[in-house]
Amino acid sequence: MLWRLAWRNLWRHKSRTLILTSAVALSYGLFLISMGMGDDGHQQMLDQAAEGAGGDVLIHAQGYWDNRSSDLVMQDGDAVLAVTAQAPGVRAAIPRILINGLVGSAVGSRPVLLMGIDPEREKALRDFSEDVTVGEYLDAGTRSDPLILGATIVEKLELELGDRVVLTATDPDGEVTRALFHLTGVLHSGLLEMDEGMALTTLEAARSALGDGGMLTQIGLRLDDGASPDTVAAHLRTTLADRDLEIMTWLEAIPEMVGFIQLDDAFLYIYMIVIFAVVAFAIANTFLMAVMERVREFGLLNALGLRSGGVARLLLAETILMTGLALAVGFALGFGAHLAVTHWGIPVAAWGVESMEVSGVDFANMTMRSKLNPLKWTLASLGVALITIGSALYPAYRASRLTPADAMRFYE
Amino acid sequence: MNPTSFQPDASGKPVGALADGLIHVRGVTRIYQQGILEVHALRGVDLDVEEGEFTALAGPSGSGKTTLLNVIGLLDQPTAGSVVVAGVPVTGMARGPAADFRLATVGFIFQAYNLVPVLTAYENAEFTLLLQGVDAAERRARVTPLLERVGLGDLMDRRPHELSGGQQQRVAVVRALATRPRIVLADEPTANLDSETSGELLDLMLELNQELDTTFLFSTHDPAVIQRARRIVRLLDGRVDAVEGG
Repeated sequence: MLWRLAWRNLWRHKSRTLILTSAVALSYGLFLISMGMGDDGHQQMLDQAAEGAGGDVLIHAQGYWDNRSSDLVMQDGDAVLAVTAQAPGVRAAIPRILINGLVGSAVGSRPVLLMGIDPEREKALRDFSEDVTVGEYLDAGTRSDPLILGATIVEKLELELGDRVVLTATDPDGEVTRALFHLTGVLHSGLLEMDEGMALTTLEAARSALGDGGMLTQIGLRLDDGASPDTVAAHLRTTLADRDLEIMTWLEAIPEMVGFIQLDDAFLYIYMIVIFAVVAFAIANTFLMAVMERVREFGLLNALGLRSGGVARLLLAETILMTGLALAVGFALGFGAHLAVTHWGIPVAAWGVESMEVSGVDFANMTMRSKLNPLKWTLASLGVALITIGSALYPAYRASRLTPADAMRFYE
Repeated sequence: MNPTSFQPDASGKPVGALADGLIHVRGVTRIYQQGILEVHALRGVDLDVEEGEFTALAGPSGSGKTTLLNVIGLLDQPTAGSVVVAGVPVTGMARGPAADFRLATVGFIFQAYNLVPVLTAYENAEFTLLLQGVDAAERRARVTPLLERVGLGDLMDRRPHELSGGQQQRVAVVRALATRPRIVLADEPTANLDSETSGELLDLMLELNQELDTTFLFSTHDPAVIQRARRIVRLLDGRVDAVEGG
């Protein structure tokens, strides 16, 4: 009877119930889809950041990551590469030589980061060939000293395909060295950092420029799905303990991205707390008004023998029913939006974002989708239910404190 | 009189001179505080009501009729004095036990807004039985004949707003009697009814009083209703002014 009475009471004022239910349902649905899109966005950032860092786990000579100095190399790079490629959980080991230097033409010079890569192995992480809009990629093999330069550099240095380009850098012995390359392609990634400062060549050509056969600056590891970067890194630290190497997960390499994601999460939760505080006050206010206008009825129920606690339970039952309804509608809205956004996606560029880059993550080219995290969605649902039901506690308490005579005398 | 003198003896019956009565009110005063004003609704009322009486509390507005019914029905507590109902001293009884006592012993009929608007006539009528935990079959067995008895057999599924004032009061009478209480307290039960409907309701209450031997104590200021009562307690300015009949 309590629930039947509560259900019918809920629909005594249809418009009020519908407005309240809609407010909770919309807030809840928005919360779910915001959380879903936030989680997906963060996952994309993590993936892109891992890609930008060079792999899920990175291996360098000790001290390289802080200094980025070209003379800090792994002298026995090929041997380290062989060990890491066999480590459990490693899908691909990607060798690189990274040289900070200057590229010069007849009209001037520009600072660059030259990456010597194995084009085939590099594809396990990213395929630069997709961004080479002019000329040919490194795997064409038409020259032994190929060089692909960022589009902005090519423009500034007024270069054309086939032109000679001189790289000036410091070799592993600390000596300034010069190497000759030929421009074979132009890189147009859309990322300012790459187009203004990136140069690509083959691993062999880079090694040749630095004059050492077996060295590597960096080994980037791509892991199997589900493999933990921390576990693989810990394993390699043990396996390669006799070498003077730094082995780090990409999260350790770019902690600012983790901070960015935590900050973004914090803003989302603060935003949602504000929304739900407003909704909770609206509910409490509405229920309080509902109590005041039904004081005589509560007095009647109490007079007939329903204990004060029963009156409070009746109001709570009404709130629970309304909350259940709101959560069902809100979940349908949130889940529907989740499915739609996941299916179609929302390109960030469509919102007028032309260029935004943080820690190598290109936000402008991201397509926002949604990711369902069952634990977070469950906790969010429980939180919303608690806030909504909690907001009716005071009105229920007020209703339970009324004496039947007062209720029936003063509110006739 | 000290309320403890109303304590029941070993046989369960109240002791002392008032042991055989159903309601004993002694020296009851009720003062309401309205801002800085003290309103004396009752001023030392003494009243005894025996089992099976059909008694009217008569008097003009503000004479204390409703307050006295509220005190007897445990809807309100007196400022001073004592009340014993069905052998139980109820003065100062806590709210929870008071609600239980009302449910077990007293049936109420109010002047207006008597029914729960979202429940049907049948559901309103069975409400107190439901609170008592009576099972569905027993509720139906008790409520249906009573509703038919008061002429509402065909209107059991109607909500209060689909019933006339007289029909609503008849549902309230059934609800008050469904638990088979020893006392029915009715506060101006005919005030919102026309004279014909008012007469019919009073006939019904009288018949049920005789058939079920239920004690009826009701307030009214309507002379036509007062003359139907077997006993009349006249109140004036919060005091018992006169007692007639009985």
